[in-house]
Amino acid sequence: MRKTRRRMINTIIVEIILVIFTLIVAMPLFLAITISLQRPELVFSYPPKIFPRGFYVKNYIDAFNLVPLLRLLLNSLIMASMITLGKIITGTLAGYAFANFRFKGKEVSFALLFATLFLPAETVMIVPLFLIMKKFGWVNTYWALTVPFMASATNTFLMRQHFMTIPKELEDAARIDGATPMQYFFKILLPLSKSMIAGASIINFVYAWNMYLWPLVVTMEDKMKTVQIGVKMLIDAESANNWGVIMAGTIVVLFPTLLMFLILQNMFVKSLVRSGLKS
Amino acid sequence: MRKIIPYVLLVPTFLIIGMFIYWPAVYSLRLSTCRLSPFGNRMIFVGFRNFVKLFNNKEYLFSIRVTVLYVLLSVVITIFLSFFIALLLEMKVPGHTIYRMLIFTPYAISPAIAGTLWSFLLNPVVGHVNYLFSKFFGISVDWITSKPYAFYAIVFASVWKTMPFDVIFYLAGLQNIPDDLLEASTLDGANWWTRTWKIIFPLLSPITFYLVIMNIISFMFASFAIVDVMTKGGPGNYTTTMIYRLFLDAFAFQKTGLASAESVVLFVIMAIITFLYFKYAERKVHYQ
Amino acid sequence: MRKFLIIVLILLMSIFALSKVKIQFWHAMGGWRIDLLKNMAEEFMKQNPDIEVEVQYTGSYRDTLNKLIAAVKAGTPPHVVQIYDIGTQVMIDGDIAVPVQELMNKDPTFDIGKFLRPVLNYYKVNGKFYSMPFNSSNPILYYNKTLFKKAGLDPNKPPRTFEELIEYCRKLTVKDENGNIVQAGITWPLHSWFFEQFMAVQNAPLVDNNNGRTGRPTKAVFNNEAGRRFFRLWYTLSKEGIMINTKKEDWTGARQLFASQKVAMLISSTSDVALAMKLAKENGFELGTAFLPRPKGAESGGVVIGGGSLWIIKGHPKDEIEAAWRFVKWMAEPKQQIRWHEGTGYFPVRKDAVEQLLTSGYYAKYPHHLTALLQLLLSEQNYNTNGAIIGAFPEVREIIETAVERMLNEEMTPEEALKWAEKEATKAIREYNELYQ
Repeated sequence: MRKTRRRMINTIIVEIILVIFTLIVAMPLFLAITISLQRPELVFSYPPKIFPRGFYVKNYIDAFNLVPLLRLLLNSLIMASMITLGKIITGTLAGYAFANFRFKGKEVSFALLFATLFLPAETVMIVPLFLIMKKFGWVNTYWALTVPFMASATNTFLMRQHFMTIPKELEDAARIDGATPMQYFFKILLPLSKSMIAGASIINFVYAWNMYLWPLVVTMEDKMKTVQIGVKMLIDAESANNWGVIMAGTIVVLFPTLLMFLILQNMFVKSLVRSGLKS
Repeated sequence: MRKIIPYVLLVPTFLIIGMFIYWPAVYSLRLSTCRLSPFGNRMIFVGFRNFVKLFNNKEYLFSIRVTVLYVLLSVVITIFLSFFIALLLEMKVPGHTIYRMLIFTPYAISPAIAGTLWSFLLNPVVGHVNYLFSKFFGISVDWITSKPYAFYAIVFASVWKTMPFDVIFYLAGLQNIPDDLLEASTLDGANWWTRTWKIIFPLLSPITFYLVIMNIISFMFASFAIVDVMTKGGPGNYTTTMIYRLFLDAFAFQKTGLASAESVVLFVIMAIITFLYFKYAERKVHYQ
Repeated sequence: MRKFLIIVLILLMSIFALSKVKIQFWHAMGGWRIDLLKNMAEEFMKQNPDIEVEVQYTGSYRDTLNKLIAAVKAGTPPHVVQIYDIGTQVMIDGDIAVPVQELMNKDPTFDIGKFLRPVLNYYKVNGKFYSMPFNSSNPILYYNKTLFKKAGLDPNKPPRTFEELIEYCRKLTVKDENGNIVQAGITWPLHSWFFEQFMAVQNAPLVDNNNGRTGRPTKAVFNNEAGRRFFRLWYTLSKEGIMINTKKEDWTGARQLFASQKVAMLISSTSDVALAMKLAKENGFELGTAFLPRPKGAESGGVVIGGGSLWIIKGHPKDEIEAAWRFVKWMAEPKQQIRWHEGTGYFPVRKDAVEQLLTSGYYAKYPHHLTALLQLLLSEQNYNTNGAIIGAFPEVREIIETAVERMLNEEMTPEEALKWAEKEATKAIREYNELYQ
């Protein structure tokens, strides 16, 4: 009896903490939704509002009219999906190499890979990267938007960390059973890494989705642009802004990433390490 | 056969990194010894002068200080906060999927929009935060244009933005911990604290190891977007981190050579930190 | 066989004759202006069926410049690009543009004399026009007549001097029991532009060599009584709590304060006139506009043009440059300038456009636009009001803004801040010049 009562109190405490925390964290999102559903002039009203009164959909209609949002969404979807796929593939393969193998030059190559994280791509390297795109003839194509970002130290490092937590006995057992290293990789290691891969996919997708400067520099036509450029298009630096429309555009652009999260979060499932060991 | 496998596995990654990161890096880093006009039509070789100038520049030295404080504070808060929240979420109380989803949103919002929204919320006169503050506490804080609040605002916004990243990976890591172990450390009596720190945290140390260095890198390199939108490095360069300085020199003032020199400095600092990190901190990590 | 070849030849020639010349136009005007520019371009294409203009929004002014740099270095520049006013010297030094003067000289149909003098004076550097003026703006004082009346001030007598401004702000400020500001006198974005304007209003230059107009500037010269007067004004207003300050370059924040009637006065750009009128109506107050106030005893100067201009970039075949010139020329025609002005609030840059607006009764309907125009036309025309030409202008601006922030945070006195800003600005200018020795 006591235990269940204690459990209930615990649940309530946790619930309260989470509610307060979530409210604070989600405040900007609520604000964005509110502004997007209100008449634009009300943005500056005082006292400030955080929940919308009314349902002013015109902002969304205006956003779609002002900016080719559907096309931009498609472009970003292609870009983010390809980059995510590329990063997961290269990351798991390379992470496997670093976690499960001993080879000459392991430390050096890991260091070289990791060092790429210290090169601020979006600041100093835009011009030379653009020159390469020109040379390959990739300017204004999906290639330029995706290929340079298909490998990453983040993903490799993450998978390396994860693979190193898988007990060696599993690998030995597999080898005894006659499995080749690649069979072990595909049949046992990857399935055990579902939650990590899901997590990494979300991160990769969002990173690609939120890129602004590189797509701006490398696209030359409206039909190749990506969503963040689209949102920027709604903002006018010098003059007055229609915040209703800007936030409407922002919400529309935010939507796919949240959707992706919903889809992938089902993969936050328990892995079968213990059961795997037993068998 | 087994001998070549690791090399083959590394080929895709290194091919891309070599072509699209290393080559551009070499191209720009060698510009650190030059001064280049914005459009590139004038170039003079100046040797190490860019570096000497940097370290004699009071503003640059100040930005180093700002960066150290900023990164330290942000990393510590983010790691511990995220760990705690991930634990709470994993208890799967009713509604936890909704909380998880909403807690994820800061990461999904682009830095520019995030900065804009926080600027609205933190507006000293018409913003929501000060409205609540003045209603409940009777005070009105100048969040963005005064010291030291501008710094706290930046730290807050950065932690807010990065926390979901850590939470996601802690959650993923928690999936690999058997339920009975997790059960034992629900908020259940005084032993909860010890059990959490003596069992769960060490089990998650590979993730923590990953997250700490990743967060350091993220705060070092990705923070300029938030700073640019929220405070523009102000007031009076109070929130100008090294990467923001670099961003200004590269994009606002088109001082290419100087920006390259600043990249080199950042690179060297990070290389040293990472080397020490892998050497000493990895010892504390418990792999299986 | 011969007949066949001739037919093929004729077909090929007609294809080439009908094929359009394609040019790319990059601009930094976001929001509803994107549509406006697209429609204007379509109108141009209708009138000029042999030219195809591809209009692209390329981010902010800063983004656009950086994209241009990348494109130029890769050999794929656009034909026409909009660059901000302070980028003039950088563009000239980059030697990447076809000066529009050259194209003007070859084109007898184009009369530069029809343009507004202040606009011409800004964009004429070294005796020639490098770019075509396109979107020009000015600062004016917006004020809330309703709040004036409430504070016992005459709504038809806006402050004329710095001294009056301080006095008015004192009367207009309302604080609550805790001492928090409920309503302040004035605000303006924390932007170096306003410093530059108030220097020009007092007929003082920013840099030497006649504000950089008769030669490359070698040092900043704004640490003088004119500069000090403005810095002191700013400091006094803030210290007494009768002014609200924004963060750097926060146009939105300033507008927000005026719209919500948290401040009674706003100094902002003329491109905000339409918005100010709308906000006044919606928030239930009467709008007034006035010239910028001037310190008592200061010399009489004027305001400086802001905004951007259109540049034609080298590296294209002759027919494309021709097409680009035709497009740029067309954009500067009265009809387009009026359309642009009505859609955005930027000045029409030509006299005949202004005349047309006047005779159509436009200024009777929009007296606030008239305020801005008059302020511009009544400005003295000399090097100080023509605007400074500085290669390192973006950096100088950042230095001035940092100095102001430090002054407002009590790290430096107004005098110290101004002196520091001048010193640092001179350093930046010298550094820039080194590349062009």
